[in-house]
Parts: sequence; structure tokens; C-alpha cells
Amino acid sequence: MSAAGHALGILGLTKRYGSFTAVDDVSLDVGQGEFLTLLGPSGSGKTTILMAVAGFVAPTAGSILLDGREITPLPPEKRNFGMVFQGYALFPHMSVAENVAFPLRVRGLSRADREAKVRAALDLVQLGAFAERLPKQLSGGQQQRVALARALVFEPNLLLLDEPLSALDKKLRAELQEELKALHRRVGRTFVNVTHDQEEALSLSDRIAILNHGRLIQAGAPGELYERPRTRFVADFLGKSNFIEGAVATADAAGFVLAAGTARIAVRAPAAPEGTRRLLSLRPEKIALLAGEEAADNVVEGRILAWSYLGSGFALRVETASLGELRATLPAWQAAFAPAEGLPVRLGWSAEAAVPVEEDAP
Amino acid sequence: MDGIHPPGPAARGLAWATALYLVLPILIVLPVALTDQRFLSLPQDGVSFRHFETVLTSPEWLGSIWQSFTIAVAATVLSVVAGTLCAIGCWRISRRATELVRVLMLLPLIIPSIVYAIGLYRYFGPLGLLDRFAGVVIAHGVTGIPYVVITVSTALAAFDPRLEQAARGMGASLSQTLRWVILPRIAPGIVSGAIFAFIHSWDELVMVLFIASRNVFTLPRRIWDGINENLDPAMAAVAVLLILFTTGLLMADRALRRRSEGG
Amino acid sequence: MTAAGRPGIGWWLLILPALVLLLVFYVAPILQVLAISVTEPEPGLGNYERIFTSESVQRVILTTLRICLITTVLALLLGYAIAYAITLATPRARGWWILAVLVPLWISVLVRAFAWVTLLRRQGLVNNTLINAGMISEPLPLVWNEFGIVVGMVHYMVPFAVLPMLASMREIDPRLLAAARGLGASRGQVFRQVFLPLSMPGVIAAAVLVFIFSLGFYITPAILGGGKTLMVAEWISLQILDLIRWGLGTMMATMLIVAILVTLAVFSRLVDLRRIFGSGA
Repeated sequence: MSAAGHALGILGLTKRYGSFTAVDDVSLDVGQGEFLTLLGPSGSGKTTILMAVAGFVAPTAGSILLDGREITPLPPEKRNFGMVFQGYALFPHMSVAENVAFPLRVRGLSRADREAKVRAALDLVQLGAFAERLPKQLSGGQQQRVALARALVFEPNLLLLDEPLSALDKKLRAELQEELKALHRRVGRTFVNVTHDQEEALSLSDRIAILNHGRLIQAGAPGELYERPRTRFVADFLGKSNFIEGAVATADAAGFVLAAGTARIAVRAPAAPEGTRRLLSLRPEKIALLAGEEAADNVVEGRILAWSYLGSGFALRVETASLGELRATLPAWQAAFAPAEGLPVRLGWSAEAAVPVEEDAP
Repeated sequence: MDGIHPPGPAARGLAWATALYLVLPILIVLPVALTDQRFLSLPQDGVSFRHFETVLTSPEWLGSIWQSFTIAVAATVLSVVAGTLCAIGCWRISRRATELVRVLMLLPLIIPSIVYAIGLYRYFGPLGLLDRFAGVVIAHGVTGIPYVVITVSTALAAFDPRLEQAARGMGASLSQTLRWVILPRIAPGIVSGAIFAFIHSWDELVMVLFIASRNVFTLPRRIWDGINENLDPAMAAVAVLLILFTTGLLMADRALRRRSEGG
Repeated sequence: MTAAGRPGIGWWLLILPALVLLLVFYVAPILQVLAISVTEPEPGLGNYERIFTSESVQRVILTTLRICLITTVLALLLGYAIAYAITLATPRARGWWILAVLVPLWISVLVRAFAWVTLLRRQGLVNNTLINAGMISEPLPLVWNEFGIVVGMVHYMVPFAVLPMLASMREIDPRLLAAARGLGASRGQVFRQVFLPLSMPGVIAAAVLVFIFSLGFYITPAILGGGKTLMVAEWISLQILDLIRWGLGTMMATMLIVAILVTLAVFSRLVDLRRIFGSGA
């Protein structure tokens, strides 16, 4: 089925509403069969991009390409894209089967063809038994799956998902994430998803595009983005991070040493000229609690300011003498100690753990 | 407010008095219509249906009823088609771009019909529409459009615009989206508008006084002549029939709304 | 930002039939009325001079304004009482109250005028009852005068006064009233200091609506005035149909439109017309 996947190109897409720029010169390629997520806070332009791809929003500048062919001027009904709307937009006066049959009906398929395809689509989302129900008689999760079946039944070039899971509660969301991922593998189509939920983006996507203030900040595989954020915003938005600012003290082929406060921090990264200011992102879970005289590339000492129990581990806020406040999360099995406010601790991390990031553009 | 803070006795008394003032005079025509006398009065020795009989066997009254009915049906079709399409168009196109259209739609509700009536009297002359079925249908149909625009706009305000986007996104053309998605959803609003447009035409007198004379003699016109010339109990019988008819239409509208709200 | 699509030409075509019908068969005849008022019997503002010179023109304008003001005040008072009762009623009772307002609203104005004639004329039910009860010896002049007109017009206008007031009263948070009582306010104080001020937008909207509807009212004043008390609409009809004085009739019609539009313009900040009609339908 992978032949069904199409490649989408977004080239210099810009959308202005009066003096407000919702999307600012965004270029992005989505490969055949790829699951791409547009991730960003509200107002970052992610939904506008999706609506421009769908054809509901006319771009101020730039173009949309499908397999290299320009489709910018096509109206939505001519693009043959499936779309799952926020809140699903199921037709409340039609049964589940009628909803799913709708795109086939507008394409003039015969009743028999429609019935077969609708049955297959409903089976795909395991709702075969609910064909005659009205949307309002279904639970939120079931409605979401009807919306998926309806968006896939006409074999669209592309599936667009606008916050498909945001209306569901947390547990159901986790279940449906798995299902959505499995569905993507099964149908082999290109999916473009929009969300503000970073966990959803990390777990579902082949690739994530992070947006802020209408601009594309960074695109890449989830692990790449998490491990190598390009800017402070990406590091902060995707997971939690400590930020350490300082000046390069010495540099060699393996990396550099950053002077931050009274600390000297070893960083394994492409070298930078001595004296330049750098910003480091250090994930809390990459900080370890050092016992006794245990050594690490970087070691700081401090006292616990506050702590909380997370079930899987502990979250600590530690006031250090050299770097100010640091956040660390420790797996429960490692924390063979009873945390208490004011308790002195030694924290350590390897030279690979802290990565240099750029300050956000204004 | 669910009776949390019930009104005081003075307010309650005035409200009751007003409700009686609104309803009682209308109800009074019922016993008058059932009088056994030849003149307008309450029944003296018993109840009689002879005045209803007079009306329902009179070719003049029946002719006017039929004429009013056909005019109202034709005018309603005109109002409903034009009004519904207009409301949908205004709903979909931005508010600012259609502001003028919306203001225009309010004019027939604001400008007194006497002004429109004398205007039509002069305007229809050269067009040969005076005292013609078509002329009255146009006048009633055009002035009925606002009622439909209002009820359909209200229905559309509750319509999720994403449903229309979903339909277009799945490949539906404009006319398919209209027929299969938008119209079924706003049908109760359209029927409501149709009922109001129908009542508007059915009751309309002022325009008819100016643009119709002999060929077109609607029911309100005949009642008007009756009130001005001979006040007899047959008039009361007509009034009762009209009240029943209007109330029936309103009840149908209410039931319809309740069903669409419940379902 | 998602709702803003790009409406194609097709959506504009939907508006076209209504727009054309309204322009050709509504706006054009009315513009013609305005035009006649300055062209017949001869071009110029001669017809409008009559407002300052003709006593009969002045009398009809004053009569109309007087009746309209009295009608507006009475309709507001009675309408407020009903709207207040509806707002505070239990949900079950509310349905009946609303019915008492809506049914008269949609019953033919002719039927209602006829009912009033039946009740109020010399040998009418009211006079007969009072005479039979020995309370009066001569029938009271209840109709075919200004009194009859006001009774009939107020009856017609009360529902129009109720709807906007009801809409604005329903937006008042009932917890405010309970809170005011809880803070020690008496029922009267709650009404005067909390409910009344909060319902004022609806009262003003109702006043504007009733006043502009009353100005051009034709049928009820014509039937219940008996030709002796003339209001503007009937006067216009007289000029056109009986006296064939198109210039004067259209002049008065133009003045009527001007008066209505000026009233609306003055109050447009306070009154959202579309909301009034939206709730009325």
C-alpha cells in the first residue's frame, strides 16, 4: 500500500491577516508515507498551515505542492485530501455509515460500491457494529474513529489531522495514539497532524516540525529534536530543560569548557572560539545523584530546595553554589536516599549531556 | 430564573392584568360568533353555528379564503427560496462584506407598509401588475424575505462551520454541500421562516388595499370591508376561524422547534 | 482562524435573487415615493413647506406624535410587567406566559381590531354590561376616538415591547438577585437597584421599537379611530386614494421614513436592531 503515499511540499508559505502574520515564510517537505506533526503553542500558525494545505485558507504568498505539482489554486473539494477536524465535524443528521459514505456519495459511487467500502473502512477502525448509530450516540473515542474512517474511505492523497485527540481524556488519548500509529502503518498514507501536545507529537510522529510565532523553528525526527534542540524554545517546549549561560573558556577538538558562574562545565560539541557566549540546555533526567566520591565529567554541589514524588521517581530542585538553581529528575530505583529539604547533594552529568542551543530570535 | 426569586404581589398583579388584556379580547369573539342573534352580541337563548355556516357556504368568503391561501403559498415559496439562499450566502461570506445586504433585509420590517403600499401603487401601474395575482405575490413575497432570513440565520448561527469545511474537504461541490449537509441541518429554521412568511402574507391588508381592487380580493380585504360596512356575527365567525388557523400554525412551529432542540 | 475560508463566487450568487428582488421590487418603489414628493405637483420643496404653513398637516403630525408617545409609555409599562413575570417564573409557567404574548402577536391585526370594536362600541359588550348593571345610563364613548385608538394600539404593541425586554432580562444572572437579598436588600430595593438598571438596555430597545412601529401604524387607528382621529398613515392614504394629492401624500410618507430613520440613528448605539428582530422571530 505504500504506493498510496504522496509527497507534500510547502514552499515559502506566508499568511497575513491585515498586519498580523499568522504564518511567516514556512518551507517544509513531507515524504511519501511519512507521519509529520506540526507542533507549537496556540497562535504558532500550525492550524493555519494545515488549513492552507487543505485549501480552506488562501496563502498570501508561497505554494503547496503535491508530488511536485502545484496545487495552491485548487479549491478544497478538488484536492482529494482526507481531514479529521478538531471536534470531528461529523454530520449530526447522518448515521455513522452515512457519514462515512458521504465522500463516496459526492463522488457518484454506486450504492453497492459505497456499502462495501464503508464496511471496510468501519472494520478498519473496529466500528462495524455501530454503522446505524447517530454520532451523538457514540462516545468521544468512537466519534474520533468514525472521523478517521470517513477521512480514509475515499483513499485520499493525504490525511490531515487537526488536533485529533485533544477532545479526549488522558487515558483514552494514550490508547488512541497507539491505534492511530498502527493505522498509519497499516494504510501507508502520508499523515499531517497538528497538535500542541508534545507527548503526542513525540510518540506518534516520524518527524516533527516545531513552530512558534508563525515561523518554523526546527524540523526533525522526535529523538533528534529532543536530544539536539536548536534553540532555547525547542528545548523548553519539547520536555523540560535547565539552561546554563556562560562564556567559552577553553576549546579543543573534542569540545569546549564553559565558564558559567564559578563553575567550569565540560561540553562535548563542535568547538567555539574562546570568549564567545554560549547557552546550554541540560535535561533534568540527564543529571545523576552522585554517591560519596563518585566522579563525573561535571560535578556540582548543592542543597535540596524542594522535591516531589512522581511515582516513577523524584523531581528535585537543587540550589547549587556555582550555577544557581538546577532541576533534576531521578529514577526511583536510583534514589536510595530519603530526600529532604536542605539535604546536601552532589550532582553530576557527562560532557555529552549538556547541548549548546541558540537564543530565540526576537 | 427558575423561580428562585418570585415576583412580588404588585408585579404579579400587573402581569396578570396585562395577560388578560392581551388574551381576553381575542377570546371574546368566540361566544359572539356562536350567538343565536342576527347582530353582534353574546348568545341569548342558546348557541348557534349558523354564522359559521353562512361563512362556509358563501362563495364570496370562500373565494377570498382560497385567493388568500394561494397568494400566501406562492409568496411563501418566493420568500423561502430567496431568503434561505441569501441567509446562507451572508453566513458564509464575511460579516463586513454583507453588511449592506443585511441592513437592506431589515428595511421591510422597519419602513411602514403604508409607504411601501403607495410606492407600489405607482410602480406597478406601468408594469401592469395592479390588481393581479402576480403583483400581490411579488409584494408579499418580497416583504416576507426578512422573516425567512432571520429564522434561517438563527438556525445557521448554531451550525458548525466545520461541517461545511468537512464536506468540501471530502470533495463535495457547493450544491452537494447545500443539499446534503447545510439544508437538512437548518430545515427547522426554514420551516419556521416559511410559517412566518405565510402568516405575513395571509394577514397582509395595507398593500392589498392599494394594489388590488376587484380581481384580487383577499380575505383581509373582505374582513376590512365587513368591519367598515356591516358588523354582523359572520365577521366574528371569520375571526374565530382565523384565530384557530394562526394558532394551529404557531403550535406546529413550536412543536417543530421543540423537536429540533430535543433531537 | 480556521473558519475564514475563501468564499467563492458561488456564495455571492446565493445572495443575488433576494438582493435583486429587494432592489427592484422594494427599494425602487420607495425611492420613487421620495422622488414624487419633490416633483409633484411641481418640482421643488413646495410640499415640505406645508409642514410650516398648513394647520391640518401640523394637526395630524401632533396627533400622531401624541398617540405614539402615550402608546409607547403604556406598552412599556405593561410589557415590563409581563417580561418581569416571565423572567422570574418557573420554567413550566414560563411557557404559558410566553404563549400569552406570542399568540396575540401573530393573530391578525384585523381580528384584534374587530374584537375591540365588538367590545367598545356604543351597543358593545362593555357598554351593554355596564348599562345592564345599572352603573351608567348613557353608553360611554369608548371607540371611534383617541381612547379607542390607544386601547387597540397598546394591545398590538405590548408583545413587541415584551420581546426585547425579555431578551435583556434573561441575560441578568439570577444569582445577582439572590445575592442582593442575601446582603439584606428588600424586594423593592433588589428591583430598583439591581434588576431595573440591568434591564434598561431592553427597555430602551423596546421603546424605540414600539415608537417606530406606532408612527406608521395604519389598520388599528383607521378602524378604531372611525375616521375622526387621523394619524399619519391614514392621512397619507386619504391624500392618495381619495384626494389624489400625490405630492402631499408622498411628502408625509417621506417624513415618516425620515422620522423613523432618525429615531433609529439616535438610538443605534443603544439598540442592536438585528438582535431585537432575531429574538422576535
